[in-house]
Amino acid sequence: MLMTTDGLENTPTAFIQKSTRDIYLPPARKKISGGGTPHIVAREFSVYYGQFEAVKKVSADIFSKYVTSIIGPSGCGKSTFLRSINRMNDLIPSCHTTGALLFDNVDIYGKYTDEVLLRKKVGMVFQKPNPFPKSIFDNITYGPRLHGITNKKILSEIVERSLKKAALWDEVCDRLDKNALGLSGGQQQRLCVARTLAVEPEVLLLDEPTSALDPKATAKIEDLIQELRGSYTIMIVTHNMQQASRVSDYTMFFYEGVLVEQAPTAQLFTNPKDPMTEDYITGRFS
Amino acid sequence: MSERPVHELIKELERVLVQLSDKVRQNFFNALHAVKHQDELSARQIRQVDDEIDMAEVNLEERCLAFLALQQPVARDLRTIVTIIKINDDLERIGDLAVHIIDRMPEISPDMLVSFDFENMGVCAGEMVKMAIQAFISKDRTIADQVCALDEEIDVMHRTVFKKVTLLMKSPDSHVDQLIAALSISRYIERMADHATKIAREVIYLVTGEIVRHKGDFYGNLINSINT
Repeated sequence: MLMTTDGLENTPTAFIQKSTRDIYLPPARKKISGGGTPHIVAREFSVYYGQFEAVKKVSADIFSKYVTSIIGPSGCGKSTFLRSINRMNDLIPSCHTTGALLFDNVDIYGKYTDEVLLRKKVGMVFQKPNPFPKSIFDNITYGPRLHGITNKKILSEIVERSLKKAALWDEVCDRLDKNALGLSGGQQQRLCVARTLAVEPEVLLLDEPTSALDPKATAKIEDLIQELRGSYTIMIVTHNMQQASRVSDYTMFFYEGVLVEQAPTAQLFTNPKDPMTEDYITGRFS
Repeated sequence: MSERPVHELIKELERVLVQLSDKVRQNFFNALHAVKHQDELSARQIRQVDDEIDMAEVNLEERCLAFLALQQPVARDLRTIVTIIKINDDLERIGDLAVHIIDRMPEISPDMLVSFDFENMGVCAGEMVKMAIQAFISKDRTIADQVCALDEEIDVMHRTVFKKVTLLMKSPDSHVDQLIAALSISRYIERMADHATKIAREVIYLVTGEIVRHKGDFYGNLINSINT
């Protein structure tokens, strides 16, 4: 069934093949200019830890410049799937993958893929804020310096731009030389977002970014996600289903490594198609 | 798997709604009976019961709003609570219709009432409400579809009353006030059926997640498919 949503000028006509049926995925919120095309594509993509198949033959399209949330119980493979997008799982010796995972139509696990360049384009923010024990300025400029930028004026511009994008500039602009560890938890997490944005990524991967934050800091991060929506393709793993429903355009539900359902968030949270999704989001899961 | 407290709470809200529907339906029948027998005492009781219905409606809505705020339901839980709120509103309006019928009592004579088949019309509309609530309880789309199809029968009855009133009004010795009161009662019963249909449509939303209001000739086609 084709669905439309209020406030849409056009709807992307992307189809995802799942089982024997096509799922039409219109954006759940206001249309984003230039968005809606698949940015990351998974086809029969599996991730193994040794013999254990943590992600099982996932086929999905992640749409450009939209926010996609991943929900599911602990151990369902959602973080593994997220981490596989910028090859963070490479750090685990027994980890290997099968199937295809494409970023901008390039195989992420291709023989000639440059992981460093990939991670520049696909930034990641983790559950616990992890600023470097350096100044705020140095935290932001760490990535650009690694990529060869040394001009102080350019670096200063990057710091200001990144902190403004991360909605942190007003709070720290007069103490950029202070140690980042002196910031509050919420500020540290936004600093981590700013640090990621400093290398101008195309994709932001957020792995439970607010689980260690209080409601006020959480709200700021959620507002930030809304601000960044439309400029970056954002994927967020969260255990907080209200958060998924608040911030994302699309939601993926994983269970035991399987992508059970992917749908526009408004649809998934009002009328999920799969009984397992329904049981999980309504708390009826045994 | 035993029900979680949150789901027990939804069931409790459903139970309250069903009890309210029984009360509303009974009050409506009592109103028709009171008009037929010009029973003033019953009329007073009907008004009292309507006040109780109004209070119950507000109470149930408050409980549903608190549930939405505190539990933040999704999927079928969300649809259930939204449906309860909407049905609750319909039931309260049906309750008002019973009072409107009582309001017409001084204007119409029992003889005039006998010439119209309001009892049968009222029973049919009451049955529609009963079926719509049954569809809600059992989450049964088939019953909900049947209710929607039955609405046309009540509409036909109402049109028949309208034609008859129009005809009688042309007579020089007609009791225009009484005929207008009769037409009003017919309209109230027809509106009760409309509310039953609305409830049925809410049940369809509850079951399928699809809003079927204003869907072109959906029910015309449904009626045709049932008749053929």
